Amino acid sequence: MTHTVSRRSWMRAAAAVAVAASFGVAGNAGAQQTLKFGLAMPLTGSQSAFGKDQVKAAEWAVEDINAKGGVNGKKLEMIVMDTQADPTIGISAVNKLINVDKVPVFVTAWSAVVKAVAVIANREKVLELSIGAAAPEIATLGDYVYTAFPLADVDVTAVANYAAKELKHKRVAVLYVNNDTGIEAAKVYRATFEKAGGQIVAYETYDPKATDFTGMLLKVKTSNPEFIHLHGLVSDMPIVIAQMRQLGITARVSSYSGAYNPQLVEKAGKGAEGLIVTSLAPNAQQNPNVGPYIERWKKAENRTPNGLPYTQYLYDAPYLVAALYGYLEKNKMPATGENMRKAINTVKTFDLPTTGKLTVNENHTVRKPVNLLTVKDGQFVPLATVD
Amino acid sequence: MFDAQVLLQIGWTSVATSTYYVLFAVAFALTLKVARVWNFAQAGVMGLAFYAMYVAMLRWEWPHWFGFLFGLAVAVAASVASEAWGYGVLRRRRSHGLLMFIFAIVVAEFVAYFLSLVFGTEPQSLQKSLVSDVYMVGGIVITLWDLKALAITAIACAGLWAFLRYSRQGQFMHAVADNGELAELYGISANRAYVVAMALAACLVSVGIYLYGTRASMIPTGPLEIILLAVIATILGGIGSLVGAGIAAVFLSLLQSSSILVIPSQWQSSLTYLVLFVVILFFPTGLRVPGWLGKKR
Amino acid sequence: MEYVYSVLILIGINIIMASSFNLIIGFGGLISIAHPIFFALAGYCSAIVAMKSGVPIPLAIVLGTLFSTALSVALSLPSLRVSGDYLLIASIGFQLGFVEVIKNIEFAGAASGLTGIPPLFTGPLRSPAFVVTILALAALVVWLVHRMTHGNYGRAIQAMRDDEECFSSLGRNAMAIKCAIFAVGSGLAGLAGALYAHYSQFLSPEQFGIIQSGLILTMVVVGGMGTTAGPVVGALLLTALPQAITFVNLPTSIMAPLQGMIYTGLVLIFLYVKPSGLMGKRARE
Repeated sequence: MTHTVSRRSWMRAAAAVAVAASFGVAGNAGAQQTLKFGLAMPLTGSQSAFGKDQVKAAEWAVEDINAKGGVNGKKLEMIVMDTQADPTIGISAVNKLINVDKVPVFVTAWSAVVKAVAVIANREKVLELSIGAAAPEIATLGDYVYTAFPLADVDVTAVANYAAKELKHKRVAVLYVNNDTGIEAAKVYRATFEKAGGQIVAYETYDPKATDFTGMLLKVKTSNPEFIHLHGLVSDMPIVIAQMRQLGITARVSSYSGAYNPQLVEKAGKGAEGLIVTSLAPNAQQNPNVGPYIERWKKAENRTPNGLPYTQYLYDAPYLVAALYGYLEKNKMPATGENMRKAINTVKTFDLPTTGKLTVNENHTVRKPVNLLTVKDGQFVPLATVD
Repeated sequence: MFDAQVLLQIGWTSVATSTYYVLFAVAFALTLKVARVWNFAQAGVMGLAFYAMYVAMLRWEWPHWFGFLFGLAVAVAASVASEAWGYGVLRRRRSHGLLMFIFAIVVAEFVAYFLSLVFGTEPQSLQKSLVSDVYMVGGIVITLWDLKALAITAIACAGLWAFLRYSRQGQFMHAVADNGELAELYGISANRAYVVAMALAACLVSVGIYLYGTRASMIPTGPLEIILLAVIATILGGIGSLVGAGIAAVFLSLLQSSSILVIPSQWQSSLTYLVLFVVILFFPTGLRVPGWLGKKR
Repeated sequence: MEYVYSVLILIGINIIMASSFNLIIGFGGLISIAHPIFFALAGYCSAIVAMKSGVPIPLAIVLGTLFSTALSVALSLPSLRVSGDYLLIASIGFQLGFVEVIKNIEFAGAASGLTGIPPLFTGPLRSPAFVVTILALAALVVWLVHRMTHGNYGRAIQAMRDDEECFSSLGRNAMAIKCAIFAVGSGLAGLAGALYAHYSQFLSPEQFGIIQSGLILTMVVVGGMGTTAGPVVGALLLTALPQAITFVNLPTSIMAPLQGMIYTGLVLIFLYVKPSGLMGKRARE
């Protein structure tokens, strides 16, 4: 079986190998002048609407920090990689950040990615900052994995307790989307609500690709709840709420920060009245930097960002990294992952521009006050704040 | 839980929401039957149709009718192009069926990337509000959307059926579906049959995507997942049977919705695949459609 | 250097996947898209066995591979009895069903993935050790596929593919050969999967969707279906290319969709210009 192998094919193959092999050499001869860190976010794929806005916020922060002179006169350099919110791609991205770009610290989000790259962070001793992912397991992923964003238990617990203690409801139905976001959060809600003395009368899940929720909603209706907690995705929550109301379910609904989205209210119409959502970032009244931040979005992009509170945390992320570098510079410590970890454990408390004070606990978690908002006349208005 | 009212309600709503799946399944089955291709590129056509309608209806603010026609035009153009410049070329070269399959999937992915480049990946719908008017009939909630969807789908399917049965081109398509080479000997243009099949499929798909977009939201990678249900329905209905595909789509929708009454909700979607497996193993030619119900294969 | 190792390991894994897939599709003529699932099944089985029952990892890997092979026979035997097309259909169902089922199984990590899988090698030399193991295995697989498909057995396979009825009428058992090919191909994929599980120490059901099947298929097609060197070249090129693109500093907003378009566009161009692949001979009419 002879086949002619054209020279061009071999050259193409050789070129590919050369390209692949040259990566080890390609890593920039370290520009000692910049302080590097990585950012691995979904820039494509179904989550990119949020990922891209979060990256933009971070880019603005880096610009702002460098405009003011950087850290100790040195400029902050952020290297961005796409993860598509997919663990395999995330692993490649973080591998490059750590081994080629040689970052001592990187920021990432989306629970599946955070978990997948945790192994690498721990092994290579590089500090991983999870900002935005909510799975409670993140706090126990390893010595080098920290979260700068409150995990699911914080805001779901707040909203569950609110329903139990402030609204004094005893019978609640929990609806959640069948992926890791929904499953984990629903567990937390149930545990909290039952501990507060309430009863979960229905606990149902739905497929993220479904468009008809009749069966599930009827089951909920029969269980006669006083209140419903819905933990889904931005794409399905308005549909669930719309169908819920159409089937005659009038109970008030609560959700989490993912539902804090004006488009959702528009799509669900009147059905969204009374919807309770959470926000883990301060609003314009609570923090003077938030107003100008939102204005900046309106001026640059003519809209408010997707997932506003998340973008606030990502805007603050470079400031957090800058503070860590500040500590290293002050103590003349080289920029390694181990030192970054020492820095975060020593500094512990950070004063960040749009999200306020952040305290990193021993157990790798952070706690933040939770803002509860509700929908009134089609607009989100503040409801309460839970510490 | 087996309250008659609950069952009726679930039955009604799942039949109503099965409408778009029926259209997608019949479209897929049609191209499979006539052109013998597993037209995964249909996912690309679905995406293009949706975003064309989205741009027309929500960005340019055209009335829904015009927006729909615009989407239809884009869909038909894309579908015919995929046949003329894609499948047709590969077929003429006598390419391995696998190459056609790869082509189809890669085209669908390419379109998804293109759409996410241009439109971003935020979920979009074809209407600002997803709520529609509600009527109560005998304790069952019936929405205006349900009625519209059922009517539109019935008309579309009837139209297709009439075309295939009574028009010359329709009969030609049957002949080509049976045996392309033999049909050519009789002077029937197999190529034209393929193109018409693709165009018709695009029409069905446009209607389906319009219905989907007025009830749920879409992202650029959405069609890649939706088309899987169309594929499964086609398989369940028996390859070569359009009526079978349609009925299978309704059946799957009913199954998914009502299964929640008996099994824990997280196993709902697994059920669909279980059914698929059982059918493949025990009814390899698909669940039989009684002769009097549909056209002969 | 570490980065190069990780790319080499990925290339090695993809070579194994592409070669074994080529065996099934290119040589055996069996159309299936469930290949990544056998990779995943062995990975999960090996990981869970190692984690829950303290079995030494190499043994767990062997068990995972056997598990995958057994399931592949369970899939191919009934499907092939019907027809070749049905294998495609059954594999689609298998592919989708598997992902759904895993998402619901708690001890397999469910939807958010299985973490904490014990590594095969530890210590400072772990990466080079993995590289050597996987590349050696890749070479072995390519050699094995080559031996199987050239020589007597290979001629039988080709005869079967070219005219099955004639083949059967001569008294050869086509079904047995097909199932054997499918089992060997899937088993090799399983081996790759089990190794991968103990390298990355993380598995999640999202990693094994239709997109992954399409990727491996692309490697085989672009490299040249039905040739020995084809999948190797395809795997090399299509693993290195996306990595290379990440080095080109495109603005973040268009970087990734553009990369996806370049990638898929390249495949389409190949399909038109050189359908027999980079290493393939001209298609005979």
